[in-house]
Amino acid sequence: MGLRRLDLTSFRVFSHAIFEPDPTGTTVLVGPNGTGKTSLLEAVGYLGLARSLRGSPREALIKNGEERAILRADLLMNERELLLEAELLREGRPRLQLNRQAIRSRKDLALAIPVTTFCPDDVTVVQGGPGGRRELLDEALVLLNPSMAALIEDVEKILRQRNALLKQSGGRLTAEIESTLEVWNERLVNAGDELVAQRIALIELLADPINDAYQTLAGSTEESITESYAASAPAGLAQGLEQSQREDLRRGLTTVGPHRDDIEFLLDGRDIKTQASQGEQRTLALALRLAVHLAARSHLGEAPLLLLDDVFSELDPGRSRRLINELPRGQTLITTASPLPEGVDPALVLDVVDLVAADG
Amino acid sequence: MYTGSLRRLIDELGRLPGVGPKSAQRIAFYLLKVPTEDATRLAEAIIDVKENTELCPTCLNVADRGELCPICGDARRSTTTICVVEDPRDIVAVERTGQFHGRYHVLHGALNPLEGTGPDQLKVKELLGRLEPEGVEEIILCTNPNLEGEATALYLARLLAPLGLIVTRIASGLPVGGDLEYADELTLGRALEGRRNVAPSEEN
Repeated sequence: MGLRRLDLTSFRVFSHAIFEPDPTGTTVLVGPNGTGKTSLLEAVGYLGLARSLRGSPREALIKNGEERAILRADLLMNERELLLEAELLREGRPRLQLNRQAIRSRKDLALAIPVTTFCPDDVTVVQGGPGGRRELLDEALVLLNPSMAALIEDVEKILRQRNALLKQSGGRLTAEIESTLEVWNERLVNAGDELVAQRIALIELLADPINDAYQTLAGSTEESITESYAASAPAGLAQGLEQSQREDLRRGLTTVGPHRDDIEFLLDGRDIKTQASQGEQRTLALALRLAVHLAARSHLGEAPLLLLDDVFSELDPGRSRRLINELPRGQTLITTASPLPEGVDPALVLDVVDLVAADG
Repeated sequence: MYTGSLRRLIDELGRLPGVGPKSAQRIAFYLLKVPTEDATRLAEAIIDVKENTELCPTCLNVADRGELCPICGDARRSTTTICVVEDPRDIVAVERTGQFHGRYHVLHGALNPLEGTGPDQLKVKELLGRLEPEGVEEIILCTNPNLEGEATALYLARLLAPLGLIVTRIASGLPVGGDLEYADELTLGRALEGRRNVAPSEEN
Protein backbone atom coordinates (compact mmCIF):
# COMPACT_ATOMS: atom_id res chain seq x y z
CA MET A 1 0.00 0.00 0.00
CA GLY A 2 1.14 3.50 -0.56
CA LEU A 3 1.69 6.69 -2.41
CA ARG A 4 4.01 6.28 -5.38
CA ARG A 5 3.96 9.69 -6.92
CA LEU A 6 2.19 12.98 -6.35
CA ASP A 7 1.99 15.67 -8.98
CA LEU A 8 0.90 19.11 -7.74
CA THR A 9 -0.12 22.08 -9.85
CA SER A 10 -0.85 25.53 -8.40
CA PHE A 11 -1.16 24.12 -4.88
CA ARG A 12 -0.12 26.59 -2.13
CA VAL A 13 3.40 27.83 -3.01
CA PHE A 14 3.97 25.22 -5.71
CA SER A 15 3.51 26.10 -9.37
CA HIS A 16 4.31 22.58 -10.34
CA ALA A 17 6.06 19.93 -8.27
CA ILE A 18 6.53 16.19 -8.44
CA PHE A 19 6.95 14.21 -5.25
CA GLU A 20 8.05 10.59 -5.18
CA PRO A 21 8.32 9.31 -1.60
CA ASP A 22 9.85 6.02 -0.57
CA PRO A 23 7.11 3.49 -1.39
CA THR A 24 7.19 1.62 1.92
CA GLY A 25 9.40 3.38 4.45
CA THR A 26 9.93 6.79 5.97
CA THR A 27 10.52 9.87 3.85
CA VAL A 28 11.76 13.00 5.62
CA LEU A 29 11.12 16.35 3.99
CA VAL A 30 13.64 19.06 4.71
CA GLY A 31 14.16 22.57 3.40
CA PRO A 32 14.16 26.19 4.52
CA ASN A 33 11.00 27.68 6.00
CA GLY A 34 8.39 28.72 3.48
CA THR A 35 9.45 26.28 0.77
CA GLY A 36 6.37 24.12 1.26
CA LYS A 37 7.20 21.16 3.49
CA THR A 38 3.90 21.28 5.32
CA SER A 39 2.05 22.16 2.11
CA LEU A 40 3.24 18.92 0.61
CA LEU A 41 1.89 16.94 3.58
CA GLU A 42 -1.29 18.97 3.32
CA ALA A 43 -1.67 17.91 -0.32
CA VAL A 44 -1.31 14.23 0.58
CA GLY A 45 -3.68 14.69 3.52
CA TYR A 46 -6.23 16.39 1.28
CA LEU A 47 -6.43 13.31 -0.90
CA GLY A 48 -7.29 11.17 2.13
CA LEU A 49 -9.53 13.51 4.09
CA ALA A 50 -10.93 15.95 1.52
CA ARG A 51 -9.93 18.76 3.85
CA SER A 52 -6.81 20.62 4.88
CA LEU A 53 -5.03 18.99 7.82
CA ARG A 54 -4.31 22.54 9.00
CA GLY A 55 -8.00 23.39 8.82
CA SER A 56 -7.35 25.99 6.12
CA PRO A 57 -10.19 27.05 3.84
CA ARG A 58 -10.06 25.73 0.31
CA GLU A 59 -9.16 29.11 -1.26
CA ALA A 60 -5.96 29.14 0.81
CA LEU A 61 -4.83 25.92 -0.88
CA ILE A 62 -4.91 27.44 -4.35
CA LYS A 63 -1.82 29.36 -5.42
CA ASN A 64 -2.29 33.11 -5.52
CA GLY A 65 -3.48 34.34 -8.88
CA GLU A 66 -4.54 30.87 -10.06
CA GLU A 67 -8.10 29.64 -10.58
CA ARG A 68 -7.58 26.01 -9.65
CA ALA A 69 -5.16 23.65 -7.97
CA ILE A 70 -4.72 20.12 -9.25
CA LEU A 71 -3.43 17.11 -7.35
CA ARG A 72 -2.72 13.85 -9.10
CA ALA A 73 -1.56 10.84 -7.12
CA ASP A 74 -0.48 7.37 -8.23
CA LEU A 75 -1.34 4.92 -5.47
CA LEU A 76 -0.78 1.25 -4.95
CA MET A 77 -3.51 -0.13 -2.74
CA ASN A 78 -4.03 -3.87 -2.18
CA GLU A 79 -1.99 -4.47 -5.33
CA ARG A 80 -4.32 -2.26 -7.33
CA GLU A 81 -2.85 0.72 -9.13
CA LEU A 82 -5.05 3.73 -8.56
CA LEU A 83 -4.99 7.21 -10.00
CA LEU A 84 -6.54 9.68 -7.59
CA GLU A 85 -7.10 13.21 -8.81
CA ALA A 86 -8.45 16.32 -7.14
CA GLU A 87 -9.27 19.62 -8.74
CA LEU A 88 -9.85 22.46 -6.30
CA LEU A 89 -11.65 25.50 -7.66
CA ARG A 90 -11.96 28.91 -6.05
CA GLU A 91 -15.71 28.58 -6.36
CA GLY A 92 -17.85 25.49 -6.43
CA ARG A 93 -17.25 22.03 -5.11
CA PRO A 94 -13.88 20.34 -5.49
CA ARG A 95 -13.85 17.59 -8.08
CA LEU A 96 -12.36 14.25 -7.11
CA GLN A 97 -11.75 11.34 -9.43
CA LEU A 98 -10.55 7.81 -8.84
CA ASN A 99 -9.28 6.09 -11.96
CA ARG A 100 -11.07 8.83 -13.92
CA GLN A 101 -14.42 8.05 -12.29
CA ALA A 102 -16.02 10.85 -10.28
CA ILE A 103 -15.91 10.25 -6.53
CA ARG A 104 -19.19 11.07 -4.85
CA SER A 105 -18.53 10.05 -1.27
CA ARG A 106 -15.85 10.39 1.37
CA LYS A 107 -16.06 6.60 1.51
CA ASP A 108 -14.20 6.20 -1.76
CA LEU A 109 -11.40 8.43 -0.52
CA ALA A 110 -11.03 6.49 2.71
CA LEU A 111 -10.82 3.30 0.67
CA ALA A 112 -8.29 4.71 -1.77
CA ILE A 113 -5.90 6.27 0.72
CA PRO A 114 -6.38 5.84 4.46
CA VAL A 115 -4.28 8.43 6.29
CA THR A 116 -3.41 9.32 9.87
CA THR A 117 -2.18 12.83 10.51
CA PHE A 118 -0.30 14.37 13.41
CA CYS A 119 0.23 18.10 13.41
CA PRO A 120 0.93 20.81 15.98
CA ASP A 121 -2.67 22.09 15.72
CA ASP A 122 -3.98 18.74 17.01
CA VAL A 123 -3.91 20.09 20.55
CA THR A 124 -6.95 22.22 19.65
CA VAL A 125 -8.92 18.97 19.47
CA VAL A 126 -8.43 18.77 23.23
CA GLN A 127 -8.42 22.48 24.07
CA GLY A 128 -10.94 23.81 21.58
CA GLY A 129 -14.65 23.49 20.91
CA PRO A 130 -16.53 20.21 20.50
CA GLY A 131 -16.48 20.42 16.67
CA GLY A 132 -12.87 19.23 16.52
CA ARG A 133 -13.59 16.26 18.77
CA ARG A 134 -16.63 15.23 16.70
CA GLU A 135 -14.56 15.53 13.54
CA LEU A 136 -11.82 13.32 14.98
CA LEU A 137 -14.39 10.71 15.94
CA ASP A 138 -16.24 10.81 12.61
CA GLU A 139 -13.02 10.61 10.61
CA ALA A 140 -11.97 7.62 12.72
CA LEU A 141 -15.34 5.98 12.00
CA VAL A 142 -14.78 6.39 8.27
CA LEU A 143 -11.16 5.21 8.50
CA LEU A 144 -12.22 1.99 10.27
CA ASN A 145 -15.36 1.47 8.22
CA PRO A 146 -15.60 3.55 5.04
CA SER A 147 -19.31 2.88 4.63
CA MET A 148 -19.88 5.10 7.70
CA ALA A 149 -19.26 8.05 5.37
CA ALA A 150 -22.74 7.58 3.89
CA LEU A 151 -24.37 7.74 7.33
CA ILE A 152 -22.45 10.89 8.26
CA GLU A 153 -23.35 12.54 4.95
CA ASP A 154 -27.00 11.56 5.42
CA VAL A 155 -27.15 13.20 8.84
CA GLU A 156 -25.57 16.36 7.41
CA LYS A 157 -28.06 16.50 4.53
CA ILE A 158 -31.07 15.89 6.76
CA LEU A 159 -29.91 18.62 9.12
CA ARG A 160 -29.52 21.09 6.25
CA GLN A 161 -33.06 20.33 5.07
CA ARG A 162 -34.54 20.47 8.56
CA ASN A 163 -32.79 23.77 9.32
CA ALA A 164 -34.01 25.27 6.06
CA LEU A 165 -37.56 24.28 7.01
CA LEU A 166 -37.19 25.75 10.51
CA LYS A 167 -35.94 29.02 9.03
CA GLN A 168 -38.90 29.17 6.63
CA SER A 169 -41.30 28.69 9.51
CA GLY A 170 -40.38 32.11 10.90
CA GLY A 171 -40.91 30.59 14.34
CA ARG A 172 -44.55 29.64 13.75
CA LEU A 173 -45.72 26.06 13.77
CA THR A 174 -48.39 26.06 11.08
CA ALA A 175 -50.11 22.82 10.14
CA GLU A 176 -48.03 22.62 6.97
CA ILE A 177 -44.72 23.17 8.77
CA GLU A 178 -45.71 20.67 11.44
CA SER A 179 -46.59 17.91 8.98
CA THR A 180 -43.32 18.32 7.05
CA LEU A 181 -41.27 18.76 10.19
CA GLU A 182 -42.51 15.38 11.39
CA VAL A 183 -41.09 13.79 8.25
CA TRP A 184 -37.63 15.35 8.70
CA ASN A 185 -37.74 14.51 12.40
CA GLU A 186 -38.32 10.85 11.64
CA ARG A 187 -35.42 10.82 9.18
CA LEU A 188 -33.15 12.60 11.66
CA VAL A 189 -34.10 10.27 14.51
CA ASN A 190 -33.23 7.19 12.43
CA ALA A 191 -29.92 8.43 11.05
CA GLY A 192 -28.90 10.50 14.10
CA ASP A 193 -29.47 7.79 16.70
CA GLU A 194 -27.51 5.39 14.52
CA LEU A 195 -24.57 7.81 14.22
CA VAL A 196 -24.56 8.40 18.00
CA ALA A 197 -24.59 4.65 18.62
CA GLN A 198 -21.65 4.20 16.22
CA ARG A 199 -19.68 6.95 17.93
CA ILE A 200 -20.32 5.49 21.38
CA ALA A 201 -19.27 2.03 20.21
CA LEU A 202 -16.08 3.55 18.77
CA ILE A 203 -15.28 5.33 22.04
CA GLU A 204 -15.67 2.04 23.88
CA LEU A 205 -13.41 0.35 21.36
CA LEU A 206 -10.78 3.08 21.74
CA ALA A 207 -10.96 3.51 25.52
CA ASP A 208 -8.13 1.12 26.40
CA PRO A 209 -5.91 2.05 23.45
CA ILE A 210 -6.23 5.76 24.33
CA ASN A 211 -5.31 5.13 27.95
CA ASP A 212 -2.40 2.87 26.98
CA ALA A 213 -1.14 5.43 24.48
CA TYR A 214 -1.44 8.23 27.01
CA GLN A 215 0.43 6.36 29.72
CA THR A 216 3.15 5.27 27.31
CA LEU A 217 3.68 8.78 25.98
CA ALA A 218 3.60 10.29 29.46
CA GLY A 219 6.04 7.64 30.61
CA SER A 220 3.94 6.95 33.67
CA THR A 221 1.03 4.74 34.63
CA GLU A 222 0.05 6.84 37.61
CA GLU A 223 -2.82 8.67 35.98
CA SER A 224 -5.35 7.28 33.59
CA ILE A 225 -7.64 8.71 30.95
CA THR A 226 -11.34 8.01 30.85
CA GLU A 227 -13.82 9.42 28.39
CA SER A 228 -17.53 9.70 28.01
CA TYR A 229 -19.84 10.68 25.20
CA ALA A 230 -21.89 13.75 26.08
CA ALA A 231 -25.02 13.44 23.96
CA SER A 232 -27.17 16.52 23.47
CA ALA A 233 -30.17 14.17 23.53
CA PRO A 234 -29.22 11.53 26.11
CA ALA A 235 -32.59 9.75 25.95
CA GLY A 236 -32.51 9.50 22.16
CA LEU A 237 -33.34 11.95 19.43
CA ALA A 238 -37.08 11.25 19.31
CA GLN A 239 -37.46 12.65 22.80
CA GLY A 240 -34.73 15.25 22.30
CA LEU A 241 -36.36 16.74 19.22
CA GLU A 242 -39.73 16.81 20.88
CA GLN A 243 -38.37 18.73 23.85
CA SER A 244 -36.37 21.15 21.73
CA GLN A 245 -39.06 21.79 19.13
CA ARG A 246 -40.06 25.21 20.44
CA GLU A 247 -36.45 26.32 20.77
CA ASP A 248 -35.59 24.95 17.32
CA LEU A 249 -38.47 26.88 15.75
CA ARG A 250 -37.54 30.07 17.55
CA ARG A 251 -33.90 29.90 16.51
CA GLY A 252 -34.44 28.43 13.07
CA LEU A 253 -31.97 25.61 13.60
CA THR A 254 -31.65 22.18 15.12
CA THR A 255 -30.36 22.49 18.67
CA VAL A 256 -29.99 18.81 19.54
CA GLY A 257 -28.47 15.95 17.62
CA PRO A 258 -25.13 14.38 16.77
CA HIS A 259 -23.89 17.78 15.52
CA ARG A 260 -24.25 19.15 19.06
CA ASP A 261 -22.64 16.31 20.99
CA ASP A 262 -19.25 16.31 22.67
CA ILE A 263 -16.71 13.89 24.09
CA GLU A 264 -15.35 14.60 27.57
CA PHE A 265 -11.95 13.40 28.69
CA LEU A 266 -10.99 13.03 32.32
CA LEU A 267 -7.48 12.60 33.66
CA ASP A 268 -7.92 10.86 36.99
CA GLY A 269 -11.24 12.61 37.37
CA ARG A 270 -9.98 16.04 36.29
CA ASP A 271 -11.59 17.61 33.21
CA ILE A 272 -8.64 17.71 30.85
CA LYS A 273 -10.02 20.65 28.92
CA THR A 274 -10.08 23.01 31.90
CA GLN A 275 -8.02 21.39 34.65
CA ALA A 276 -4.93 20.00 32.95
CA SER A 277 -1.62 21.46 31.88
CA GLN A 278 -0.73 22.29 28.29
CA GLY A 279 1.69 19.35 28.33
CA GLU A 280 -1.02 16.92 29.45
CA GLN A 281 -3.36 18.24 26.78
CA ARG A 282 -0.70 17.84 24.10
CA THR A 283 0.00 14.28 25.25
CA LEU A 284 -3.69 13.40 25.04
CA ALA A 285 -3.94 14.91 21.56
CA LEU A 286 -1.10 12.62 20.43
CA ALA A 287 -2.59 9.65 22.28
CA LEU A 288 -5.93 10.08 20.45
CA ARG A 289 -4.29 10.04 17.02
CA LEU A 290 -2.06 7.14 18.03
CA ALA A 291 -5.00 5.07 19.31
CA VAL A 292 -6.95 5.65 16.08
CA HIS A 293 -3.87 4.77 14.03
CA LEU A 294 -3.41 1.50 15.97
CA ALA A 295 -7.08 0.59 15.65
CA ALA A 296 -6.99 1.33 11.92
CA ARG A 297 -3.92 -0.86 11.47
CA SER A 298 -5.57 -3.84 13.13
CA HIS A 299 -8.80 -3.27 11.14
CA LEU A 300 -7.17 -2.69 7.77
CA GLY A 301 -4.31 -5.14 8.25
CA GLU A 302 -1.89 -2.37 7.31
CA ALA A 303 -0.96 0.93 8.89
CA PRO A 304 -2.59 3.94 7.21
CA LEU A 305 -0.25 6.35 5.47
CA LEU A 306 1.24 8.35 8.33
CA LEU A 307 1.75 12.10 8.03
CA LEU A 308 3.79 13.71 10.81
CA ASP A 309 3.95 17.48 10.48
CA ASP A 310 6.62 19.06 12.66
CA VAL A 311 5.51 17.03 15.66
CA PHE A 312 8.85 16.63 17.38
CA SER A 313 9.58 20.31 17.90
CA GLU A 314 6.60 20.43 20.28
CA LEU A 315 7.72 17.46 22.36
CA ASP A 316 10.53 16.86 24.79
CA PRO A 317 13.07 14.22 23.68
CA GLY A 318 11.57 11.53 25.96
CA ARG A 319 8.05 11.94 24.53
CA SER A 320 9.38 12.13 20.97
CA ARG A 321 11.30 8.90 21.42
CA ARG A 322 8.34 7.13 22.99
CA LEU A 323 5.99 8.30 20.21
CA ILE A 324 8.35 6.97 17.58
CA ASN A 325 8.69 3.64 19.39
CA GLU A 326 4.94 3.22 19.68
CA LEU A 327 4.00 4.32 16.22
CA PRO A 328 3.59 1.41 13.82
CA ARG A 329 4.83 2.76 10.55
CA GLY A 330 4.09 1.69 7.08
CA GLN A 331 4.70 4.45 4.63
CA THR A 332 5.47 7.61 6.61
CA LEU A 333 6.03 11.21 5.61
CA ILE A 334 7.71 13.52 8.12
CA THR A 335 8.44 17.22 8.07
CA THR A 336 10.66 18.53 10.80
CA ALA A 337 12.37 21.72 11.78
CA SER A 338 14.29 20.10 14.62
CA PRO A 339 16.67 17.12 14.60
CA LEU A 340 14.96 13.77 14.19
CA PRO A 341 14.55 11.74 17.36
CA GLU A 342 16.47 8.52 17.67
CA GLY A 343 14.69 5.55 16.19
CA VAL A 344 13.63 7.23 12.97
CA ASP A 345 15.47 5.66 10.07
CA PRO A 346 14.62 7.63 7.01
CA ALA A 347 14.71 5.61 3.82
CA LEU A 348 14.77 8.84 1.89
CA VAL A 349 15.50 12.47 2.70
CA LEU A 350 14.16 14.98 0.20
CA ASP A 351 14.79 18.68 0.00
CA VAL A 352 11.48 20.27 -0.97
CA VAL A 353 13.27 22.78 -3.17
CA ASP A 354 14.37 19.92 -5.44
CA LEU A 355 10.79 18.80 -6.04
CA VAL A 356 9.82 21.82 -8.08
CA ALA A 357 9.46 20.53 -11.59
CA ALA A 358 10.96 22.37 -14.50
CA ASP A 359 7.91 23.42 -16.46
CA GLY A 360 7.90 22.65 -20.11
CA MET B 1 -15.72 37.62 -29.17
CA TYR B 2 -19.11 37.31 -30.87
CA THR B 3 -21.51 40.18 -31.17
CA GLY B 4 -25.21 40.75 -31.68
CA SER B 5 -27.50 37.88 -32.60
CA LEU B 6 -24.83 35.18 -32.49
CA ARG B 7 -23.77 36.14 -28.95
CA ARG B 8 -27.42 36.12 -27.90
CA LEU B 9 -28.02 32.68 -29.37
CA ILE B 10 -24.92 31.23 -27.68
CA ASP B 11 -25.99 32.75 -24.35
CA GLU B 12 -29.51 31.34 -24.66
CA LEU B 13 -28.29 27.87 -25.64
CA GLY B 14 -25.80 27.95 -22.76
CA ARG B 15 -28.68 28.21 -20.31
CA LEU B 16 -30.10 24.87 -21.38
CA PRO B 17 -29.48 21.98 -18.99
CA GLY B 18 -26.47 19.89 -19.90
CA VAL B 19 -25.17 22.45 -22.42
CA GLY B 20 -21.87 24.09 -21.54
CA PRO B 21 -20.27 27.08 -23.27
CA LYS B 22 -18.42 24.90 -25.79
CA SER B 23 -21.53 22.96 -26.81
CA ALA B 24 -23.55 26.17 -26.99
CA GLN B 25 -21.01 27.56 -29.42
CA ARG B 26 -21.04 24.38 -31.51
CA ILE B 27 -24.85 24.28 -31.75
CA ALA B 28 -25.00 27.98 -32.60
CA PHE B 29 -22.56 27.58 -35.49
CA TYR B 30 -24.43 24.51 -36.66
CA LEU B 31 -27.66 26.49 -36.72
CA LEU B 32 -25.94 29.27 -38.69
CA LYS B 33 -24.96 26.74 -41.33
CA VAL B 34 -28.23 24.80 -41.79
CA PRO B 35 -30.88 25.90 -44.34
CA THR B 36 -33.26 28.54 -43.02
CA GLU B 37 -36.26 26.19 -43.06
CA ASP B 38 -34.50 23.74 -40.71
CA ALA B 39 -33.74 26.49 -38.21
CA THR B 40 -37.28 27.84 -38.54
CA ARG B 41 -38.71 24.40 -37.88
CA LEU B 42 -36.77 24.20 -34.62
CA ALA B 43 -37.85 27.70 -33.60
CA GLU B 44 -41.48 26.88 -34.38
CA ALA B 45 -41.31 23.63 -32.45
CA ILE B 46 -40.13 25.55 -29.40
CA ILE B 47 -42.92 28.12 -29.72
CA ASP B 48 -45.48 25.41 -30.44
CA VAL B 49 -44.59 23.36 -27.36
CA LYS B 50 -44.87 26.43 -25.17
CA GLU B 51 -48.19 27.53 -26.68
CA ASN B 52 -49.91 24.21 -27.07
CA THR B 53 -48.77 22.16 -24.11
CA GLU B 54 -50.09 22.44 -20.64
CA LEU B 55 -50.59 20.15 -17.70
CA CYS B 56 -53.24 17.47 -17.80
CA PRO B 57 -56.06 18.78 -15.59
CA THR B 58 -56.28 15.42 -13.81
CA CYS B 59 -52.81 14.04 -13.26
CA LEU B 60 -50.64 17.07 -14.14
CA ASN B 61 -48.64 15.15 -16.71
CA VAL B 62 -47.82 17.15 -19.83
CA ALA B 63 -50.75 17.20 -22.25
CA ASP B 64 -51.96 19.02 -25.35
CA ARG B 65 -53.78 22.23 -24.55
CA GLY B 66 -57.35 21.67 -23.41
CA GLU B 67 -57.09 17.88 -23.40
CA LEU B 68 -56.41 15.07 -20.96
CA CYS B 69 -53.03 13.40 -21.22
CA PRO B 70 -53.06 10.14 -23.23
CA ILE B 71 -53.09 8.05 -20.03
CA CYS B 72 -55.97 9.82 -18.30
CA GLY B 73 -57.79 9.82 -21.62
CA ASP B 74 -57.48 6.04 -21.96
CA ALA B 75 -60.71 4.57 -20.60
CA ARG B 76 -59.15 1.10 -20.35
CA ARG B 77 -56.82 2.17 -17.58
CA SER B 78 -57.90 1.47 -14.03
CA THR B 79 -58.77 4.43 -11.87
CA THR B 80 -58.46 2.58 -8.57
CA THR B 81 -54.66 2.74 -8.44
CA ILE B 82 -52.59 5.91 -8.68
CA CYS B 83 -48.83 5.88 -9.09
CA VAL B 84 -47.35 9.09 -7.64
CA VAL B 85 -44.19 10.36 -9.35
CA GLU B 86 -42.02 13.47 -9.00
CA ASP B 87 -41.66 14.36 -12.66
CA PRO B 88 -43.44 13.69 -15.98
CA ARG B 89 -40.30 11.90 -17.18
CA ASP B 90 -40.79 9.34 -14.43
CA ILE B 91 -44.10 8.37 -16.07
CA VAL B 92 -42.20 7.45 -19.21
CA ALA B 93 -39.87 5.26 -17.12
CA VAL B 94 -42.72 3.43 -15.38
CA GLU B 95 -44.67 3.06 -18.64
CA ARG B 96 -41.70 1.31 -20.22
CA THR B 97 -42.14 -1.51 -17.71
CA GLY B 98 -45.59 -2.21 -19.14
CA GLN B 99 -46.55 -3.51 -15.70
CA PHE B 100 -48.68 -0.68 -14.45
CA HIS B 101 -52.21 -0.25 -15.71
CA GLY B 102 -53.53 2.43 -13.39
CA ARG B 103 -53.13 6.18 -13.58
CA TYR B 104 -50.46 8.60 -12.48
CA HIS B 105 -50.13 11.73 -10.46
CA VAL B 106 -47.21 14.11 -10.99
CA LEU B 107 -46.07 16.07 -7.92
CA HIS B 108 -43.70 18.31 -9.89
CA GLY B 109 -40.92 18.04 -7.34
CA ALA B 110 -40.09 16.57 -3.96
CA LEU B 111 -39.95 18.01 -0.46
CA ASN B 112 -36.80 20.11 -0.39
CA PRO B 113 -36.80 22.95 2.15
CA LEU B 114 -33.37 24.09 0.95
CA GLU B 115 -34.89 24.87 -2.43
CA GLY B 116 -38.06 26.22 -0.88
CA THR B 117 -40.21 23.25 -1.90
CA GLY B 118 -42.85 22.34 0.69
CA PRO B 119 -46.18 20.51 0.36
CA ASP B 120 -47.83 23.69 -0.98
CA GLN B 121 -45.42 23.79 -3.91
CA LEU B 122 -46.14 20.16 -4.74
CA LYS B 123 -49.37 19.01 -6.35
CA VAL B 124 -50.58 17.34 -3.17
CA LYS B 125 -53.98 19.04 -2.89
CA GLU B 126 -54.71 17.99 -6.45
CA LEU B 127 -53.93 14.40 -5.47
CA LEU B 128 -56.24 14.54 -2.45
CA GLY B 129 -58.97 15.95 -4.68
CA ARG B 130 -58.82 12.89 -6.95
CA LEU B 131 -59.25 10.22 -4.30
CA GLU B 132 -62.99 10.24 -3.92
CA PRO B 133 -64.24 11.09 -7.44
CA GLU B 134 -62.02 8.42 -9.00
CA GLY B 135 -62.67 5.78 -6.33
CA VAL B 136 -58.97 5.33 -5.61
CA GLU B 137 -58.05 2.31 -3.48
CA GLU B 138 -54.29 2.14 -3.71
CA ILE B 139 -51.54 4.76 -3.95
CA ILE B 140 -48.09 3.65 -5.11
CA LEU B 141 -45.38 6.04 -3.95
CA CYS B 142 -42.91 6.12 -6.79
CA THR B 143 -40.68 9.03 -5.78
CA ASN B 144 -36.90 8.84 -6.15
CA PRO B 145 -34.97 6.68 -3.64
CA ASN B 146 -32.91 9.69 -2.46
CA LEU B 147 -33.26 11.77 0.70
CA GLU B 148 -35.85 14.17 -0.72
CA GLY B 149 -37.84 11.47 -2.49
CA GLU B 150 -37.94 9.29 0.63
CA ALA B 151 -39.04 12.24 2.75
CA THR B 152 -41.81 12.97 0.25
CA ALA B 153 -42.96 9.34 0.32
CA LEU B 154 -42.98 9.40 4.12
CA TYR B 155 -44.98 12.64 4.11
CA LEU B 156 -47.57 11.26 1.70
CA ALA B 157 -47.80 7.96 3.58
CA ARG B 158 -48.59 9.83 6.80
CA LEU B 159 -51.18 11.88 4.97
CA LEU B 160 -52.87 9.09 3.01
CA ALA B 161 -52.79 6.04 5.24
CA PRO B 162 -55.33 7.46 7.76
CA LEU B 163 -57.79 7.90 4.87
CA GLY B 164 -58.15 4.13 4.62
CA LEU B 165 -56.16 3.73 1.40
CA ILE B 166 -53.58 1.07 0.66
CA VAL B 167 -50.32 3.00 0.48
CA THR B 168 -47.31 1.20 -0.98
CA ARG B 169 -43.73 2.22 -1.68
CA ILE B 170 -41.79 0.81 -4.61
CA ALA B 171 -39.07 -1.58 -3.51
CA SER B 172 -35.42 -0.72 -3.92
CA GLY B 173 -32.88 -3.33 -4.72
CA LEU B 174 -30.47 -4.71 -7.25
CA PRO B 175 -30.43 -4.10 -10.97
CA VAL B 176 -31.57 -7.16 -12.90
CA GLY B 177 -28.79 -8.90 -14.79
CA GLY B 178 -26.12 -7.35 -12.59
CA ASP B 179 -23.50 -8.87 -10.34
CA LEU B 180 -23.74 -8.79 -6.57
CA GLU B 181 -20.08 -7.92 -6.21
CA TYR B 182 -20.54 -4.67 -8.12
CA ALA B 183 -23.51 -3.50 -6.04
CA ASP B 184 -22.82 -0.65 -3.65
CA GLU B 185 -23.41 -1.59 -0.03
CA LEU B 186 -26.32 0.81 0.44
CA THR B 187 -28.30 -0.75 -2.36
CA LEU B 188 -27.34 -4.24 -1.32
CA GLY B 189 -28.25 -3.43 2.30
CA ARG B 190 -31.68 -2.26 1.19
CA ALA B 191 -32.09 -5.36 -0.91
CA LEU B 192 -31.27 -7.51 2.11
CA GLU B 193 -33.77 -5.64 4.25
CA GLY B 194 -36.44 -6.18 1.62
CA ARG B 195 -35.72 -9.89 1.13
CA ARG B 196 -38.59 -12.27 0.42
CA ASN B 197 -39.42 -15.74 1.52
CA VAL B 198 -39.05 -18.05 -1.47
CA ALA B 199 -40.01 -21.28 0.29
CA PRO B 200 -42.99 -22.81 -1.54
CA SER B 201 -46.07 -22.11 0.56
CA GLU B 202 -47.63 -25.18 2.12
CA GLU B 203 -51.25 -25.40 1.22
CA ASN B 204 -53.25 -27.83 3.27
